[in-house]
Amino acid sequence: MTNSAQTIDPALYAAATDAVRAEAKKVLESGAVSAVVGWQAGRRPGTAMPAIVTDPARVNDLIFSPACVNNLALYLTKAKKEIRAKGRIAIVAKGCDLKALVGLMGENQLRRDDLHVIGVACAGVHGANVDRTLPLSEATIARKCRECAVHTPEGADAIVGTLPELHRFTPTESEELARLEAMAPAERWKFWKEHFSHCIRCYACRQVCPFCYCEQCMCDRNRPQAVETTPRPAGNMAWHIVRAMHLAGRCAGCAECERACPMDIPLNLLNRKMAKELKELYGFEAGLEVKDKGPLAEYREDDDQSFIK
Amino acid sequence: MPITITEQNLRLLIDTLVKAGTRVVGPKAAGTMTLYEPLSAGEELNLGGLPRRSAKETFFPLCETILTYEREKEGVRVTDVDPGSVPETLLIGARPCDAAAAPVLDAVFSWDYKDEFFLERRRKTTIIGLACTRADDACFCTAVGLSPADTRGSDLFLTPLKDGGYRCDAITGKGEALLAAHAALFADGDGTPAPLAEPSPGAMDLDKIRGWLDTHFEDPLWEEIAERCAGCGACAFLCPACHCFDIVDEGGEAKGARRKSWDACGFGKFTNHASGHNPRDVQPQRYRNRIMHKFKYYVDKFDQRLCTGCGRCIRACPVGIDIAAVLEEINSKGVE
Repeated sequence: MTNSAQTIDPALYAAATDAVRAEAKKVLESGAVSAVVGWQAGRRPGTAMPAIVTDPARVNDLIFSPACVNNLALYLTKAKKEIRAKGRIAIVAKGCDLKALVGLMGENQLRRDDLHVIGVACAGVHGANVDRTLPLSEATIARKCRECAVHTPEGADAIVGTLPELHRFTPTESEELARLEAMAPAERWKFWKEHFSHCIRCYACRQVCPFCYCEQCMCDRNRPQAVETTPRPAGNMAWHIVRAMHLAGRCAGCAECERACPMDIPLNLLNRKMAKELKELYGFEAGLEVKDKGPLAEYREDDDQSFIK
Repeated sequence: MPITITEQNLRLLIDTLVKAGTRVVGPKAAGTMTLYEPLSAGEELNLGGLPRRSAKETFFPLCETILTYEREKEGVRVTDVDPGSVPETLLIGARPCDAAAAPVLDAVFSWDYKDEFFLERRRKTTIIGLACTRADDACFCTAVGLSPADTRGSDLFLTPLKDGGYRCDAITGKGEALLAAHAALFADGDGTPAPLAEPSPGAMDLDKIRGWLDTHFEDPLWEEIAERCAGCGACAFLCPACHCFDIVDEGGEAKGARRKSWDACGFGKFTNHASGHNPRDVQPQRYRNRIMHKFKYYVDKFDQRLCTGCGRCIRACPVGIDIAAVLEEINSKGVE
C-alpha cells in the first residue's frame, strides 16, 4: 500500500456533498418528500450536525464530510415524532446507518414506502478526540470505520459518491475485543467495573441509539424502580447490562452510543461481543436485508435448549 | 510585592494538606480523560487539559445520600446524613469558567431553601483558580463576560509565568489565610505572565440577547435549533452551572437510602406530571427552557448568568448543538 493510499482524499467528500445537494433538491422540488434529513456544517471547523431541510432553497446547507458522524436513522424513530409528522422523508445514510434503517423496518417502526433513502458512498468518518482539520488516516479515522464492510450501501433509492479502493486500517476494535475475550472473567469484570464507574447516567448512549425507541424505558421507572437511577456502581452496571441485552441481535453497529458517551466508555465493545454471540448461537447478524424477526424475538422448535439444566 | 510559587512547591502544598487530612481535589488523569478528583499526592495534579466534567461536583456531587432507613423490630429507623460531616476541602487548579460557577450556584442553593449539603461544602472549600493559557474552538468565556484570567469565585488565583511557576493573588480572606498558613512555600517576587488563552468568540451583547428572549418565547428558531436535540443529559451534566437534581428512594423493604443526584432539562420525562401531562412535550420546548433558564430566568431572578462559557456542552453534544452559535444567532437578531 502506498503512502498516499493511507490518507483518504478529501475530494471524495466534496463530490459526495454536491451529489447529496442535487438529490435533495430533486426530491424536495418534485414534492416526492417533505423533508430531507442530512448533515450541515457546524460553527467550528471540521464539525457537522444533523439538519432537517424542508425548503429546496436550503439544500446547499447540506454537506457530506468526515464530520458527518451521526446516524440519522434516529430522526425517523418514535423518539422523534415531530419529524415523522412532516410526511414522507428523505434520509442521507451511510452504510452503517442503512443497517439501522433496515433493522427498524424489521421491527415495524418504519415503512420502506415512507422513505427515500439517499445512500452515500462513505470512506469513513473521524474518530472522537482527533484533530478534525486533518484528512482521514490511520491516526484520525473512527474505530468502526476501520472494519467497515458496507462502504457503499445497497438498496438505497439513490447512491451518491463513488469510492476508490480503500486502504485497510488496523482493526483496533477487533483487537481490543480479542484482548477482552482472552481475559479471565475476574479481570474482565474489573475492566467493565472501572469503565462503568465513570458513567454519569446522562443517557446519551440511549438517546442517540435508533433502537432505543421505547416510549417508557424500564430504567426510568420509579414505581417500582427496576434499576437504580442514581449514578452508583450497582445501577450503572445494571443499566449497561440491560442495554446490551436489549440490543443483542438488534444493534446495527453504528457505534453511536460509544461516540456519544462523554465519559469515553467503550460501549461498542459490548455491542460487538453480543453480536458475535448471536452469530455463533443463532447464525444471525444485522444486515441490509429486512428480517421479520430477530432470534431473541421468536421461538423455534429446533432452538438450542442445552443451556436449560 | 506580588507573591509567587514554584510548580514543585505547589505540589508540596498538596502533599502537606493531604497529610494534614484536608481533602484536596484537582485535575487528575483518569484513563482517556482528565477529571477533577481527590488527589492523594501532589504528583497526581495534572494541569494539562480541561477536565471533562466541571468542578461543581466539589459542592454538588453527582450523587449523595441524604438519609438512610432500616426496618427494625418496632417500625423503621430513619437516619439523617449530617451535612456537617463533609471534610475541609481545597479545590486546586480550577479553571476560571469552573471557579466562576461557584458564586452562581450559591445564589440558587441559598435562595428560598437553604441547601445545607451544598452550603456546608461551599463553606468548607477553598478554591485555587488557574488562568488559562490555552483555549480550544469550543471555549467561549469571553462571549459571556468572563475571561481566561477572571478571578470570580477563586479564593487564591494562579497565573502561569513564562519561566515556570505561578504568580499568586489572594482574592478573598480564605485565600489570604491559605497564603499565611503556608508562607514558607510561597516567595515574594514577580515574573512575566505566560500569554493568556484567546477564545475566538468575542464579547456578546448579553442584554440584547436577554431582550430578544424576553419577547420570543414562541419563535421558529427553537424548532430550527432544537429538533435535532436527542434529549440526553450530557450538556447539563458536564456544565459547571446546571444544578437540577432529582431525589429518589433506593433500596428494598428492609433498608435503603434517599439520594440526591443530577437531573437534566433535556430529558423527556423531566417535566412529566403525575397526571401524565407533560408541558414540555417536544425537544424544542425543552431546549428553549435551557437557553431561557441560562440567559433570562436566572438573570431576572439573581442578576447572574447560568453559563460561564466553558464549552463543555459544545464538545459533548452528540448532535453538534453549539450554544455559542445559538447565542451568536440570537445576538444577531437583536430586539425586533
